[in-house]
Amino acid sequence: MVAPAQAIQTRQLTKIYPGFWKSQKVPALLQLNLQVQQGEIFGLLGPNGSGKTTTIKLLLGLINPTAGEAQVMGRPAGDQETRRRIGYLPEESYLYRFLNARQTLDFYGRLFNMNRVQRRRAVDYYLDFVGLDPAVRGRRIGTYSKGQTRRVALAQALLNNPDLIIMDEPTSGLDPVGILEIKNMILRLKQAGKTVLLSTHQLADVEDVCDRLVILYRGRVEMSGALSDLLERRDVFQLEARQVSPELQERLVALTRESGATDVQIIRPRARLEDLFKRLVDAKRQTERAGK
Amino acid sequence: MGWNWFGPVATTRWVFSAKLGRYGLVPQQHLGLVSILAAVLVGVLILAFILVAFRDLGRLRTGISRAWAIGRTAFTEAWSARIWAIYIIWLGLVLILAFTMVRGYGPADEMRMYLTIFLRGQVVLLLLYLGILACMALPRERERRTLITTGSKPISRLELLLGKVLGLSTAALVLVLAMMVTTWGFMTLVNAKIRHDAGVLYAMQKRSYDQLVRHVPPEPGLRYLARHGVLQASNNLRGRLRIAGLISYATNPPQRELKGGSAEKLLFQFPSLPATWQPQAPPLFIFHLPPFSLLKRQVPKKTIIHVTLTANDNPLHRKHKVLTLNADGDAVWQPSNPYKFFSFVDPRNGRVYDPGPVTVGVTCPTLGDYLLVGNGRTAASAACKAWNMDPNRVPGHLSFVLPQPDPRIFGFMKSKHQTWQEIAGATTAQKNIPPEVASMEFRHLQASQVPIDHDGNFTVDLLLGVNKHFNEAAPAKALIRAYAVDNPRHPVQRLIRVEEKHVTTLKLPATLLDGSSLIINLQSAVPGLWIKLRSNSITLARPPSPFIANLGKSELIIFCETVLLISIGVAAGTCLGWPVALLVTAVCYLLGSILEFIHRMFDQISQGFSFFHGGEHAAWSAHLGWLIRAVMVRTLYFLVHVVPDFTRFDPTRFIVQSVNMPWAFLGWNLLWTVIFVLPTLALGYLLLRRQELA
Repeated sequence: MVAPAQAIQTRQLTKIYPGFWKSQKVPALLQLNLQVQQGEIFGLLGPNGSGKTTTIKLLLGLINPTAGEAQVMGRPAGDQETRRRIGYLPEESYLYRFLNARQTLDFYGRLFNMNRVQRRRAVDYYLDFVGLDPAVRGRRIGTYSKGQTRRVALAQALLNNPDLIIMDEPTSGLDPVGILEIKNMILRLKQAGKTVLLSTHQLADVEDVCDRLVILYRGRVEMSGALSDLLERRDVFQLEARQVSPELQERLVALTRESGATDVQIIRPRARLEDLFKRLVDAKRQTERAGK
Repeated sequence: MGWNWFGPVATTRWVFSAKLGRYGLVPQQHLGLVSILAAVLVGVLILAFILVAFRDLGRLRTGISRAWAIGRTAFTEAWSARIWAIYIIWLGLVLILAFTMVRGYGPADEMRMYLTIFLRGQVVLLLLYLGILACMALPRERERRTLITTGSKPISRLELLLGKVLGLSTAALVLVLAMMVTTWGFMTLVNAKIRHDAGVLYAMQKRSYDQLVRHVPPEPGLRYLARHGVLQASNNLRGRLRIAGLISYATNPPQRELKGGSAEKLLFQFPSLPATWQPQAPPLFIFHLPPFSLLKRQVPKKTIIHVTLTANDNPLHRKHKVLTLNADGDAVWQPSNPYKFFSFVDPRNGRVYDPGPVTVGVTCPTLGDYLLVGNGRTAASAACKAWNMDPNRVPGHLSFVLPQPDPRIFGFMKSKHQTWQEIAGATTAQKNIPPEVASMEFRHLQASQVPIDHDGNFTVDLLLGVNKHFNEAAPAKALIRAYAVDNPRHPVQRLIRVEEKHVTTLKLPATLLDGSSLIINLQSAVPGLWIKLRSNSITLARPPSPFIANLGKSELIIFCETVLLISIGVAAGTCLGWPVALLVTAVCYLLGSILEFIHRMFDQISQGFSFFHGGEHAAWSAHLGWLIRAVMVRTLYFLVHVVPDFTRFDPTRFIVQSVNMPWAFLGWNLLWTVIFVLPTLALGYLLLRRQELA
C-alpha cells in the first residue's frame, strides 16, 4: 500500500520573536514536527498564544522561521508557486474596506493570473457558494456586517480552487447557521479531495469535522493523533433506542447491574441547539420566500 | 553642477583625488587615473547593486499583471481617499492667487505669472499629497493587516513594491492630465480676451489715425498681439552671445577690458603652484586690474572684484573671495588654506602633495567700471600672478608664477541669478571709447533652417531692454550689423527702434545664409543709452509649436518629479512606519532641492576652516568647534550628492518664456527620472525582500 502524500510537513520548526534591544525574546513555536496527509481535515488546537497562527504564517511564508524547516505540497514553505495551490482564510477578515465584494475577488483573481472570463465566473460562483446576499455585493466591504465580511474572506480563500485550504478561526463572526454551513462546506471540500488545515478555539467544530488534530500549548505539541482515537471511551457503553417502555428500561438497568457493570444510568439524549436553531431559521426563510 | 553627473560616483572621485592624494597614498602621477578608476568602480558597484536587487526581474515577466493588480488597488484606494479633492483645492488656490496677484501687468507678463502660478501650484500639491500617500502605502497595509491576505497569494515582494509605485503614479498621471486640461482651458480663455482687447484697441487707434484724430500710427505690437496672442511656444534658433567688454583699439594688440556689473568672467590658468610653508612669506595671489569708470559719480566708489579659485583636478577645492582694488587696481589675496591650491611637502612623512593646475576666475560686480586686463606675459603687466615660495622646486621662477598668456574672457555666462546684461552706448566720460558691441553668432546656418518670405528675407526677433543714463529724451535706437563669416565685406546694416520688453522684428536678406556662421552685431546708436539683453534676446524666427504640446512637456516633467518622490516614499515605507517614512522622504526632497544652496554654503563656510588661521596656538575648543563644523558640513555635502537631485526638474523653465521645450531637455529629464528611480526602488526591494509581512 502506497502511503498518502504529505500536504504539510514540518521538521523542528521554531519561531522566536526577537525582543527590542536586550529585552526578553518571545518563543512562539518550539520544534514543531507536523505531518498533514493530503485529503484529510487536520485540526490545530490550543489556547491563545499557543502558536497556532504563527504556524500558519510560517507555512505561508509570511514570517521567517528561526530554526527548522517546513514543506508545503512538497516544496519549501513560502514558495511563490506553491501559494498558487493554497487558499488562506485569516483569523480576522483582512480585506480592503474601499472595495466591494466583486472588486475584492476580482483583485485576488488577478493575483492568481486568472483571465477576465475565469475571474467573472469564479467571482459569481464563490459569492453564491459562500451565500453572500446578492443585494450587498456591490457595496463597499467597509459597510458589511462581520458575517458578510467573513463570507467574502472565505470566498477569496476558495477562489483559486486550492488543493490546501488553511483556515484560521473560520467560524468566528458567523451565526449558527453560517457555522453549520461552513462545517458542511469543509466536509464537502474533503469529499472533493482537498486538504484542510483548521485552526480554531471552537472545539465542537473540530469534533464535528476533523480527522486528526494536534493540541499546542505555549508553542509545544502536547497531544496529537486521530480524533477517534483521542476521544473514544472504550470502557463506556451507550445504547440508543426509541419507544422503550419504562418497564423495559428498568429491566435493562437491572440486567446490566446484575452482569457486573458500574455507574449504570439512563440518559435522555437532547437535540443539539445548533440543529434546533437551524431548523427554526430554515422554516422562517422558507416562509419569507413563499410570501414573496 | 556639471561635474555632479551622479552623486556617489563624483563623491568617490573627490575622495580619491582630494583626500587620498593629499597624503600621498596614491602616487601623484597616477592620481587622475586612479580617481577615475575608483569612480568607475563605484558606478559598476551601483549597477551591480541594482542588478542584485532586481534579480527577480525575470519572474516579473509573468508577474506584471499582478503588479498592475496591486497598482489598480492602490489607485482605487487613493481615489476613495478623495484624491480628486487635490484638484479642487489646486483649482481654488490658483484661481485665488491668479485673480489677486496678477493685476496691472502687460499681457506677456500676465501670461507668464499665470503659468508660473498654475504649474508651481501643481508641483507643490502633487508632491505634498502623493508623497504622503506613497509613505503610507505599505505601512498602512501592514497596520490594517491586509498585507497578510495579499501576501498569502502568489505575489513577490518586487511585484508588491512596483504595484504600489505604479498605482500612485497612475493617480498622479490622472491628476496631472486633469490639471493640464484646466490650465490649457484657462490660458486659452485669457489669451482670447487679450487678443480681443488688443484687436479692439488696434482698430480704435487705426480709425483715429485714418480720420486724422491721432497723429501717431497704430502700434504694430497690438496687431501682432491680436493675431497671435501670447500663448506661444516658439522654436526660434538661438545663437551664442558674446560681449567682450570695451575694446581699446589704441594699443596693439587691442586692450581688453573686463566689464563691471556684468556676468563677464576672466579666467587665468596657472600651472602647478609650488610653495613652502614659511610664516614670513606665505603663498598668495597678486591682482593688477586698473579700473576706470564710464559714469560720472558724485562719490568715488570702491571697485571690488569677486575672485574664484579652483583646483582643476578637484572641483571641490574651490574658494571664493571678495577683494577691493586700490586706486591703481592692485589687490593681494592670501587663501586661507592654500594647501588645496599650492603644492607642499607634508612635514610628517616628507611626501609631496601637488593639487595640480589651478584656475583663477575674476568678475567685477561694480556697474559702470571697467578693468584693464593685462596679457600675463610679463610680470609687470600681468593681471594676476602667484607668489612663488619654492625656487628650488621650479628653477627659473624666482619670485612669481605667471598664468598662461591671454586670459580667456567669457562674455556672457549663463547664470540663474543674473540673466540680463547691458552693453554701453557712447559716453561723454571717455571720449575715445566706442560703444560696446554684443555679438550673436549662429553657427553653420543654412537657408533651409529658417523660413524665407516672398521678398527673400528671413526674420530676426529681438527682445531688448533699455537703460538710459543720460540723453533721456532721445528715442532708443540700436545699430544692427549682420554678416556671414565667409563674406564679411558685405555686411547688412539696419537702424532699429528699441521698444523695451517688446519683440522687435527685423528682416534680413537670405543671402546672408550661405552655410557659414551668421554674425549679428548689436550696439547702441544713442549716446547715454545702454541696451539690456539676455542670451536669448536675438533669435531667428521659426514656425512655433502648439502651446498645448509645450504645456504637455512641462506637465510630463511635473509627472516625472512626482514619480520620483513616490518611489522614494514607497521605498522608505518598506521598513519604516509612515511618520518616519514621511520625514525621510521630506528630508530627501529638501536635500535634493537645495543642492545649489549647499554648494554655495560649502564654498563660503569652507573659508572658515582655516588650516592656518587658527594656528597651532588656538584653543582646543576652537579646534573642536572647527572639527564639528567640518564634519557636519562635509556630511551634509555628501548627503546632498547621494540623494536624487530634484533641482533638475524645472517645468516652468521654457514655457514661461514662450519657448518650446527642446525634446533633448525632456529626454534628459526622463532619463534622470529613470536613473534616480532605479536605485531607489532597488534599495526598497532589498529592504522588503526578506521582511516579514505579518
